[in-house]
Amino acid sequence: MTLTALLLWATAGIGCLWALRRDPAMLRGALAHTRTSLFTVLPIIAIALPTAGFLSELVPERVAATLFGPDSGVLGHLAATIAGACIPGGPFVSFPIVLALWSSGAGAAQMVTLISAWSVLGLNRVILWEVPLMGWRFVLLRLAATAWLPPLSGLGAEIILACLPPDVLGR
Amino acid sequence: MPPPSAASPLKRHANLVFILGLCAASALACFALKGTEGLVSGLARARDLAAVMLPVILPALILAGLVQVGVARERISRWLGANSGLRGLVLATVAGIATPGGPMAAFPLVLALAAGGADRGALIAYIAAWALNGFSRILVWEIPVLGPEFAALRFLASLPLPVLAGLVARRLPGWVGAR
Repeated sequence: MTLTALLLWATAGIGCLWALRRDPAMLRGALAHTRTSLFTVLPIIAIALPTAGFLSELVPERVAATLFGPDSGVLGHLAATIAGACIPGGPFVSFPIVLALWSSGAGAAQMVTLISAWSVLGLNRVILWEVPLMGWRFVLLRLAATAWLPPLSGLGAEIILACLPPDVLGR
Repeated sequence: MPPPSAASPLKRHANLVFILGLCAASALACFALKGTEGLVSGLARARDLAAVMLPVILPALILAGLVQVGVARERISRWLGANSGLRGLVLATVAGIATPGGPMAAFPLVLALAAGGADRGALIAYIAAWALNGFSRILVWEIPVLGPEFAALRFLASLPLPVLAGLVARRLPGWVGAR
């Protein structure tokens, strides 16, 4: 078990103790949520893992590394923005795809851009949820105000990575 | 917490069917292009990923459950509605990060606040923060699939952006976003 996994377990343990001291019913409620999402997430992860494995076999090493590689620069972030906006579906689709790209040579900062683009621009969500609920004009405002955030988050990640020792986030 | 997929049994099955289809299609393509060897090495990658992911799924989901019961909806509305200026944008960002659940949790709240005349900069900052850094998605999906280090990198890199988006939204001409 890695250090980060231990840290996560410790945080979860402290959180549970805190909830228990505040109100045991609260802890029970939280664990009920945990159980529900475990049953939702586990079957999906069980399918998503081999999917990510097969996809990363399919993505030729050079394509991921050339398009989104750690040294692909501004163009790589733009490509990641476009790719992210086009990934359909929820997190159960996007995260395995990102995992596949990342393990076949894409850079961590470029993957930050890709996830941000999927989150902010994801056409799927815009069409299914946002337009019907909020109306076109509001969506226009939101896109105008947020469309430039994904590459910016990737550049922020580049700066953070540059301050870290190399290989902290290598794959 | 229910991930965005838990809206209804029907929708949950649709997700499973979709990812199953993707899995079958990629397995078939793998087999067609690289034969049995491709399938085996794809499964070997999956095994390596599982070794990284499995130890963190449970604590991540426990934390997500705690966030879900610990953050009251009324508090989120209060954070969003009351303040203007830079402080309002920062509070809207915090509210967006703390809002658990998928689009069906976040958008109705925004709709209610927009109808109540809330500052649009704050609304944009809220949506941007929820979309970029929503805590429950990070805990349920990002940490288990991509690892805590990557999640932390992306979280930090995206943290200031919702405030910037809110500032931009306030400066856009009035006809954009008029209801």
